[in-house]
Amino acid sequence: MNKRLFTVVLSLVVCIAFAVTAFSQMKPDVMVKQRQAAMTLQGKYFGPLAGMAQGKVPYDAKIVARNAGYLNVLNKMPWDGFDPSTASEKSAALPAVYSDNAKFKKVADDMQAAVAKLVSVSKGKDDAATKAAIGAVGKSCGACHDNFRQKPM
Amino acid sequence: MTDIKKVLFVGIICFLLWFPQGSAEAGGNIKRGEYLAKVANCIGCHTENREGAVPFVGGRALKTPFGTFYGPNITPDCDVGIGRWAEADFIRAMRYGVRPDGAAYFPAFPYPSYTKITDNDLRDIWAYLRTVKPDKRPSQAHDLGFFFQWRFLIWFWKWLFFTPGPFENDPRQAPLINRGAYLAQAVGHCGECHTPRNFLGATKSNRYLAGGKGPDGKNVPNITPIRLQKWSDQEVKYYLTTGVMPDGDVANKMMNEVIQNATSVLKPDDMSALISYLRLLPRLADESK
Repeated sequence: MNKRLFTVVLSLVVCIAFAVTAFSQMKPDVMVKQRQAAMTLQGKYFGPLAGMAQGKVPYDAKIVARNAGYLNVLNKMPWDGFDPSTASEKSAALPAVYSDNAKFKKVADDMQAAVAKLVSVSKGKDDAATKAAIGAVGKSCGACHDNFRQKPM
Repeated sequence: MTDIKKVLFVGIICFLLWFPQGSAEAGGNIKRGEYLAKVANCIGCHTENREGAVPFVGGRALKTPFGTFYGPNITPDCDVGIGRWAEADFIRAMRYGVRPDGAAYFPAFPYPSYTKITDNDLRDIWAYLRTVKPDKRPSQAHDLGFFFQWRFLIWFWKWLFFTPGPFENDPRQAPLINRGAYLAQAVGHCGECHTPRNFLGATKSNRYLAGGKGPDGKNVPNITPIRLQKWSDQEVKYYLTTGVMPDGDVANKMMNEVIQNATSVLKPDDMSALISYLRLLPRLADESK
């Protein structure tokens, strides 16, 4: 057999094997960091909206629409980070995420639905309706956190 | 007296006691009392946690390691509420943690903090409570572990852990700080959630506001300067008014209630006083797990 050909094929197989393992499963601590990053950015873009909805800062429809758009993408991202392999990692996620996974999925879906509603309402001219939609999003954050998150002491 | 006359007599007395005294300063000031009752968040424990619940008729469950307590009806109803109480009964309840019949209250009712409220403020709160709509809903009995049902044991607990008495100004501190201390320690009773407790359920006096467990069993954060220094005054004020944190996170359910009912109604001076006081507390490390 051609030694060179054999070496090339073997190297290729080994490289593909590494690549496949790299993409098939992220390390648990990395997944935790990544989902937390998505949540952090959700907080970044939700924060100003909450103040506007409560009349504590001046209302800016353009910012609301822009942030709603960001949230609509961001809020699809954390969920694949909640893999059971991360259960033993240090994080604020409660075991209920995995033991009551159906409910967890439901509140995640509810939150995405609330944000989707905000996106569509914020495109219109009705400030009052948009403020109400922002409040609904805030409530949906709490609906998950209250049952599935415990900030470490 | 015949039965019908008795009923009429009690009814008329109750009506007179319940009917607001107007703005008579001889009793307490109703408007000031309403403000204080809000900051003290009476409604939080004495109203069910659902849409359309009637204020102050009780029914809210408070889960503790000793069992579940249900806040009683404190409307001025004469049969199931506190309609037959006199002002002195109310002051005694808040100051000493005793019922008009002399029995001790479980310290789930946070009289260890409320004891610090001044007599004048107690009179104001009493005046406001008299204006609440009476309601006939009976109070729900507590659901406690066997050992903990015995009220007489509370006297032992009080002897170990409870010192009654109104708040006393610290002459070395500015009036603003004293006001903030009064709001936090007495009316706001922040320590009841934010201070860790020992195995007998008493707050640890040397760990004031270092973090504890809320009535829902969730962790409650350390709010001594070791944590609070991360937020500016404006951010703390914003959070206590809206429930939104500097990073866009939102307060959890229990604290959100406190914010909606109590801290968000603080007058600007009182808010500044509270924050100024919190900044001066001893820096305490978090509770170890």
